[in-house]
Formats: sequence, structure tokens, C-alpha cells
Amino acid sequence: MQRKFIQIIGVIWTLLYASVIIWIYATEPRSFKEVATNTQVAAGTYEINQEKFDNGLNLFRRDQFRAARDEWAGADPAQRDPRTQFYIAYACYREGWGRVYYDDALFREGLAAVDRAINLNPNGTLSVDDPNLQMHTAAELKAELEQGTETSWRDLNPMKLFRTRK
Amino acid sequence: MKTYAERNRALLHFIAVPTILLTAGLLGGLRIDAQTRQFIFIAPPLVTLVLAILLGSLFVRAGAIDLSRWVAIEQPTLNNLSHLLTLLSLFFATAQAFNSVLPESGLLHWMFSFFFLWTLWTNQFSNFDARRLLKSIMVLFGTAFVFKHLLVSALYAPDGGLLRTIASTLLKGISIDVPAFAPATGYVSFFALILYVSGLLLIAPNPSPPDESSVDKLAVREEMLSESSNQSSGVELNDTVPK
Repeated sequence: MQRKFIQIIGVIWTLLYASVIIWIYATEPRSFKEVATNTQVAAGTYEINQEKFDNGLNLFRRDQFRAARDEWAGADPAQRDPRTQFYIAYACYREGWGRVYYDDALFREGLAAVDRAINLNPNGTLSVDDPNLQMHTAAELKAELEQGTETSWRDLNPMKLFRTRK
Repeated sequence: MKTYAERNRALLHFIAVPTILLTAGLLGGLRIDAQTRQFIFIAPPLVTLVLAILLGSLFVRAGAIDLSRWVAIEQPTLNNLSHLLTLLSLFFATAQAFNSVLPESGLLHWMFSFFFLWTLWTNQFSNFDARRLLKSIMVLFGTAFVFKHLLVSALYAPDGGLLRTIASTLLKGISIDVPAFAPATGYVSFFALILYVSGLLLIAPNPSPPDESSVDKLAVREEMLSESSNQSSGVELNDTVPK
């Protein structure tokens, strides 16, 4: 009887431990801190660091986009918060925007962030009510970033010098 | 006494052995980045799975694992399930043990893979017993560990010294792509291999516990043997007594 009990415990334990190992290899955490974050995400208890998010927002409003992105990366290390990812994408857009040309690398980074934001939103439509922004939905931002990475005849239009940053 | 032995045996077979093997599997793919000190988890490459199958077949051929006793239609489902999980853990640990001692990429990766494949393939046609196989595996992994984590890592370390100078002179023009890992990677690999070999030592060829009747028979046999030896020693003593 005792042997059977140990056997059952052994089967459950082995399955559980094997699942944890598979999960570790699938998520590829880079540190013990990341293991803890991934565990929180899996358990559904993950929350962003609000203080860091607010710091990032203040920096963003002062046009310090790179510093703002760093703060937001710290606030949302698992990249699981759609709002934070939206702001990261917006910071990439504003930093990469230029009157003559756009910074392709930053626009691509922004595009990846806005895609994450869209995928993380369960409804599919993400809207951010921030009066300091001119684009409030992830779809608008994505379209703008996509246009920036595409090459077309419009790039040769001299009138683009008069365009404004959103 | 007998209950303790049974309980310990069950704990060993159903909990300790799979845990040891799975931990070896977990550590086998872990590397530490030289610059950032971050974890890098490398899933077992396809070639390590092939090597694990070859080594598994050697285990069966050498009698280190009696497969018909591990999984059989006559056994209860729970027994089969737990044995199957242990065998899967062994397979995963074997693949990861190879992963741990194989260089990650480049020419050396293929050279090591080829030597492993060659060794295991030729061993398929040799006569082995379980003990000799275990010794052979320990030597195989030990040699690969020394080559990868002591020699190759020393050759391509940023402060490689004389060894590096010699190697770069000898291999001039040949691109050997070896990713740089922190020295901690060697320690992790060492513990992974120790755990793997410990797991192999703990795995019994026949996982079923000896049934009560056979235990009783063995006890009776031992008693008879001890009695007969006492009698014979008594006879010898009597013989030596001067008349």
C-alpha cells in the first residue's frame, strides 16, 4: 500500500518536474529574476511596476524617449502589459520620426512593440486616453510605423518637409 | 526493517532516480554567457537525440536495463507508467548529457558528434556487460568534458596564453566558431554529468522488487549455507584434534 502511494507521488512529481523543465526551456529565462517574473505571468499574478511606468511617462513627456523606454522596459520586464508596450512603440515613433527621413531601426522596434500590444489585448483594439498623444489607438500607431518603414514614391515628395510629428 | 528497506527502495526508484535524471537534463543545456552572465538554455540538438537512442540501445544490449521487466503487459498500469516516465527521464538526461559536452556550433560540434556516433556505433557490435558499459560511458563523457570545458574553452578564452597562440597558429585559416561562455558553465556541466552518472548507477536492471517468496527462499538458503559451513568448520576442527 505504501509502495503504491509512493509510486503515485513519484508519477505526479515526475510529470510536474518535467513540465517545469519544458516550461523553462520554452521561456528561456536569462536570470533567476526572470524565472520569478515568468512564474508570476504563468500564475496570473503579474503586475507592472507602476512607479517605473510613471517615471517613464514623465521622461516621455519631456522628449527623453530613450530613457523613457528603459524605464518602461524595467516596469514591464515580461513585456506582458499592452499599455506599456503601446507607449514603448510610441516612444520609438517619436524618437525615430524625422522631417527628411525616419529611423528604420527604431520604427521596426516600435512596430514589434505595437504588435505585442495588439496581441496582448484580449479585445484586439487597444485605446489609450492620453491627451498628450495624437494617436490613441494601437491600430493608428501601427499604420504610422508601417508607413514609415515602407519605401515609396511619396518619399521623394518635397512637401513632406512640412509634415508634423504626431 | 524489511518495511524500511521496501519504503526506501520505492522512494529511490519512483522519486529519487527520476528527479536526479531530470535535474541532469535541466542542467545539461544550461550555459552562462561570458559577458552578461545571463542564462542561456540550449535545447538538445537533433544529433544528441540520435546519440541518446544509440546509447539507450547499448543499455538494453548490455543488460543494464531489462526492458521486458520495465514495461510489460502483465504489470499494473501504474507500474508501467512510472517505469516509462523513468525511462523517458533517462532518455532526456542522456540527450542533455551529450548536449552538455558537445561544442555548440562550428567545426568542433560536428567533429565531436562524429566521434560520439562512431564510438557508439562500433560499440553496438561489441560484447558488453552492464558494469563495463558504465565504465565505458564514464570514460567517454569524462574525455569529452575535458576536451570541451578544459582544452577548447582554454584555447578560445580571451586570455588564452600559449595554448591559444599555438592553436591559432596551427589552425590558421580554419574557422572554428566556439561561443564564449563563463567558467561557471564548466561547473554546471560537471554537476550535470555527475548527476547523470549517479542516476545510471542507481537504475536497476530489473525495477520490480523481490517478491516475498523469493526473499524467504533466499533467507532459508543463506541459513542452510551458514549451517553447513559451521558443520564443515567443526569437522575440520575435529579432524585436527590429536587422537
